[in-house]
Amino acid sequence: MTETIQIALKTLEAQLNQPLETALEACARCGLCAEACHYYRAEPKVEHIPAYRAEQLRSVYRHEHDMLSRLFPVWTGAKQLDEPMLANLTEIAFSQCTLCRRCTVNCPLGVDTPLMMRAIRAMATASGTAPEILVMLADAAIEKGKDPSFYKEMFLEQIKEMEEQLRDITGDPTATIPVEKQGAKILYVPLAGAHTILPPAVVFNAAKEDWTLSIFEASNYGVFLADVNRAKQVAKRIVDEANRLGVKEIVIAECGHAYASYRWDVPNWFAGEFNFKVRSLIEVLAEYIQDGKIKVDPTAIPEAVTYHDSCNLARNGGLIEEPRYVLKNVVSDFREMTPNKAEALCCGGGGGLVALAEYADRRIAAGKPKADQIQKTGARVVVAACENCRLQIGDINEHYNLNVKITAITDLVVRAMRLPKPLPEQEAEVLFDDEKVTVA
Amino acid sequence: MTLLILSQLLALAGLLAGVYGITIRYAETKTRALPADKSPIKGNISHGIAYAFTTGMMPWAKESTRIHAIAYLRGIGFHVGIFTALGALLISPFWGMLPSLLSSMLIWVLTLGAFLGAAGGILRIVEHNLRGLSLPDDHFAVWLMTIWMAAAALALWNAGVLIPFYILSAITLAYIPLGKIRHCLYFFFSRAFFGKFFGRRAVFPHPEVVK
Repeated sequence: MTETIQIALKTLEAQLNQPLETALEACARCGLCAEACHYYRAEPKVEHIPAYRAEQLRSVYRHEHDMLSRLFPVWTGAKQLDEPMLANLTEIAFSQCTLCRRCTVNCPLGVDTPLMMRAIRAMATASGTAPEILVMLADAAIEKGKDPSFYKEMFLEQIKEMEEQLRDITGDPTATIPVEKQGAKILYVPLAGAHTILPPAVVFNAAKEDWTLSIFEASNYGVFLADVNRAKQVAKRIVDEANRLGVKEIVIAECGHAYASYRWDVPNWFAGEFNFKVRSLIEVLAEYIQDGKIKVDPTAIPEAVTYHDSCNLARNGGLIEEPRYVLKNVVSDFREMTPNKAEALCCGGGGGLVALAEYADRRIAAGKPKADQIQKTGARVVVAACENCRLQIGDINEHYNLNVKITAITDLVVRAMRLPKPLPEQEAEVLFDDEKVTVA
Repeated sequence: MTLLILSQLLALAGLLAGVYGITIRYAETKTRALPADKSPIKGNISHGIAYAFTTGMMPWAKESTRIHAIAYLRGIGFHVGIFTALGALLISPFWGMLPSLLSSMLIWVLTLGAFLGAAGGILRIVEHNLRGLSLPDDHFAVWLMTIWMAAAALALWNAGVLIPFYILSAITLAYIPLGKIRHCLYFFFSRAFFGKFFGRRAVFPHPEVVK
């Protein structure tokens, strides 16, 4: 047995807790999970059935843990893990599963297949066989956290320029984008790019919120690697920043995996040191509208709009009604996809897939069911509250000629606020070849 | 000692072996870590668990069971038959005292269970996906249960089949902790974890209000 295999098996053992053992043991191989998976819907073959994918790990587990399997391995499909098997498992976990948990919801026994896929990802990461780009991105984020001064000056300069834009858009000369504001109530954590800073800044200023912008971005590639150690180090940057500034709340940009990890995982990784409320920007928007802190025009967006539920936000995060509440306040023609909410189809971009160029064809193919869903609504605008979903829907939009515009919730809210000037990307916006949408 | 008593003792031994094996499995799983979740609760864990074992099991609760309602109901009927066979085995010394209506009902439930089991067994052979997913253990388990239910129905109808029924019971019950049939234990773990996870996050059951 090579060292790689030893490490992989050791990692499996280390993860073997009650929920994982249950997932490995409970499956009755009834196959009812097949259509739950977007990979299977796009290309119906046995290899795309979630139970089949999970079975590849179960065969390894049985070889290590089951008496009958040790005596009669053929009887239960038990196999000794070797290098080609590990490579196959790695490919399955990183390229054929977006960890969306739709199979779990559809399984009569509730088998948590994504938990097993995460276990494989952890095995691959520990044994050095995980996709390099994800490892590099996670490590780069960790390095950035160790010495933020390296890029901070440039970041602050960019924020200053953005502040000018903000004042121009809002017509408010006092509008600010505070950074490292001691004692602020909210620490807003954006993603890389002005598009996740400027629109929320418009909203925060309009709501007269006591907020400050994080100097770090919310995304966490350690989560995709299922490497708790790396994921924890990436998250620590923001936890330390929140502690240093003494904020009460961390608000995460429109990002599925970042919200799910900060809302549901980080409190466990930093038990005792983490006493912040974590909310998604969507929840904050819903609150502002509900409390009348921002005024929005429900007729401002006349186009037919549909909403894509990010798996991390809806099925895995419980953010189901909040985005709908916001959208119904800013959109006059809102159309649901079918199925939606906790039963929504994954777009195919989750689990870090959009970062893995080598699997792009597979990802686009698996996005076909979502493309069909979008087309059926007849909507011209698709809203997604997750950056990876937006990237994926953008790709399937192009590939399947959907002719839709993809946008974030905050962008629509800002449009509905009817400000003196539009956001840069909304300026004299031509949504489609055949129509020009007037921005207030 | 008559052959009947010997077969009854064999069935009892099978039952004890099955219970012992499942207990060992349960104890082993319980010794594994159960990560404590310290994230603030959004929904309600106990409601989630209650949902997982009740409403969440209804054929209309999931897309998969709506699409494959017949397959799901076949599975439900099959499992009802299995638990009926187990119950029938436990009360077998008192079969003579059963009202004939109850006895007939048991025979029908067991026959239906066996029929549905056989259908499942055949599907595992002829249906492409199921064939691809199935291991020898799966084929053996479904036919073992099917034959056991059929034997129970026959034994209730004709006492001459009691000895084969007891022998089959011994094999079936002793096999439970060894092969895939032990999912009967993990079903409870799995649905409970499902309820905890989704209940905590207010996904199932899902309150349609903005908090």
